Amino acid sequence: MLGTSLKIAQKALKRNKLRTGLAVLGMTIGVAAVLTMFALGTGAQQSVSSDVKSAGTTLIFVRAGNFTRGGEESRIPTGLGSATSLMPDDADAIARISGVKYVSANVKYRTWVEDGGQREYTQVVGADSDYAKQYDWSFVKGRYFRHGAVEDAEPVVVLGSTLRDKLFGDENPVGKQVQIHNQPYKVVGVFETADEDQSDTAVIPYTTAQKTVGTSSIQMITVSAEQAGDATRISQDIRTLLRTRHHLDNQPVQPAGSAALGGLQMPGAGSGGETPDDFTVKTQASEALTKGLNTSVAAFILANMPQMDQTNSQEMAGTLSRAGSTMTALLAAIATISLIVGGIGIMNIMLVSVTERTREIGIRRAIGARQRDVLQQFLVEAVSLSAFGGVFGIVLGFLAAVVITQVLGWPAEISVTAVALAFGIAGLTGVFFGFYPARRASRLSPIDALRYE
Amino acid sequence: MTPNVPVISIKKLTKTYQMGDVAVHALRSVSLDIQAGEFVTVVGPSGSGKSTLMHILGCLDQPTSGQYFLDGKDVSRLSDDEVSTVRNKKIGFVFQGFNLLTRTSALENVELPLLYGPDPVSATERRARAMAALEAVGLGSRYEHHPNQLSGGQQQRVAIARALLNNPSILLADEPTGNLDSRTSVEVMDIFQSLKKERGITIVLITHEPDVAAYGSRIISFRDGVITSDELNTRRRTARGELAELPEPLEESA
Repeated sequence: MLGTSLKIAQKALKRNKLRTGLAVLGMTIGVAAVLTMFALGTGAQQSVSSDVKSAGTTLIFVRAGNFTRGGEESRIPTGLGSATSLMPDDADAIARISGVKYVSANVKYRTWVEDGGQREYTQVVGADSDYAKQYDWSFVKGRYFRHGAVEDAEPVVVLGSTLRDKLFGDENPVGKQVQIHNQPYKVVGVFETADEDQSDTAVIPYTTAQKTVGTSSIQMITVSAEQAGDATRISQDIRTLLRTRHHLDNQPVQPAGSAALGGLQMPGAGSGGETPDDFTVKTQASEALTKGLNTSVAAFILANMPQMDQTNSQEMAGTLSRAGSTMTALLAAIATISLIVGGIGIMNIMLVSVTERTREIGIRRAIGARQRDVLQQFLVEAVSLSAFGGVFGIVLGFLAAVVITQVLGWPAEISVTAVALAFGIAGLTGVFFGFYPARRASRLSPIDALRYE
Repeated sequence: MTPNVPVISIKKLTKTYQMGDVAVHALRSVSLDIQAGEFVTVVGPSGSGKSTLMHILGCLDQPTSGQYFLDGKDVSRLSDDEVSTVRNKKIGFVFQGFNLLTRTSALENVELPLLYGPDPVSATERRARAMAALEAVGLGSRYEHHPNQLSGGQQQRVAIARALLNNPSILLADEPTGNLDSRTSVEVMDIFQSLKKERGITIVLITHEPDVAAYGSRIISFRDGVITSDELNTRRRTARGELAELPEPLEESA
């Protein structure tokens, strides 16, 4: 019986192709909206969670020296970066703190990098073997140097893609020699990163850099937390650890508030009499906030934002996903409205169809069709319309997702569940909006239907 | 069924239509018994209420008051599903306007009653039975034709094949020859007469033409919603004999 209803529906729908097409179109748009909504929702969620996971939001920077090292009274930030208070051992110790994923000692200096006649003045970064993972660099050519190269202080270098372009153009530099500060280095890889500054650097083992600069200390330690929310706690642990290791004192550290800021404090804010840190610990959040600011202004800002330490990246992720769910809610509203409009279109067409075919209904009833036979026939017709709409809508939704991803750069991800759900919603809309016309058809009195002109 | 239980028995049947402020009495307390195997023709001018009677007999319409017993059962007590089954199994309809589904082939039109029967019938069997019914009315070669490709007589024969597909015990015909020329009318009457003779089908035929009424075995005259006469037809016309005397038909347009 269902097969017969399908056949009849197919025939009826073929009879007026334009009308059928327009009714299907309404549904198509609705389903496409639903699918696009899901695609964007899923995509946004995935991008938020990958942001949270990515190195960028979990980094902690430990630098040698302190802004206030010159004395609290003078308020002159001195010594940052140029101090010799940090040693490679400190990095190893930090690596043992729980929740720390990667640690990399850094020695940086600016010099020139040369290939033949081409000479570029740039930043050379000495780093450890996990540094590339900390920044999630992708290697377009070659690879990052291994731990062995760091141990042996080998003259190897990886180039940022911008620097590679300047030196080699489109050529593959892997295996070639470059001169850094008149020393020959072998290029082992080219990396790509969204950070334009990093993209213009040359990275060598920090041990090699130490030799070049002639120092046994390091300037900085880059620490990656396992989880974004842990950065604050780890910075505090680092501070405690380094104060102990550097024999500054054994007093308990100050409240989290200023500890997370890496020892930044306004004069008088700290407890007096305590030996100042000979290092600076900064989470990426505070670093981002004060980037480019005059150091004393930065210090003032951080000291006056007691909530800063709580604004960890997990909270930022929360804000992002709240924004995402606002967008999803908006899209859901649009999708619902489109579906209702599409459904009303189907209902309208079905009512017209029932009126047009009143005589046919009368004939079928006279021959023995029951009310439910007529109901089923028109319901199947309505659901067929919406199912076609569903299929086309899924196709359109896929296209929309591709276009949104490519043109607007928003992440969009279409899952099987989303497709199934969109199709299911289409079917349900057909049943919902097809029911009234179908019921009306089935309730017609046989003789009135037969007499209808 | 015992012979003394009439196939159709109506008691004090009335039907009143409300047309604005005016109440139109289509049937005024009509009582009638029809026995199995009768060929009853109901004759009367238009508006006499004979079509209304026919619709009630065919379970397409309900009376305002009175009772209708079909095979001894009170139809007003049946559910819609049961009434639908009665229309499907027990009653065959032939209408003046044929009432075939347009844009649907003759074969598919004839198949329809099997679609709505209480027991499912396979597609192959439906097709075979519909084909046999079409052949029985001489239209086997035109099974694929749509109603608009068939002449009036052919359409009515398709309608008859459809009406007979479930072997109903009652055939109700409402002005079946109203839209047909005289020769085709006689052909249709021939089919009816042989159905009564060969299958013992009870036929109720409605017409406003006394000529057509004369083919029945019992003639009931109707006027203003009441029966004015009800008598056995002693001077019955036989379609078979008349057909033989009529000149050969012009080739029917296909």
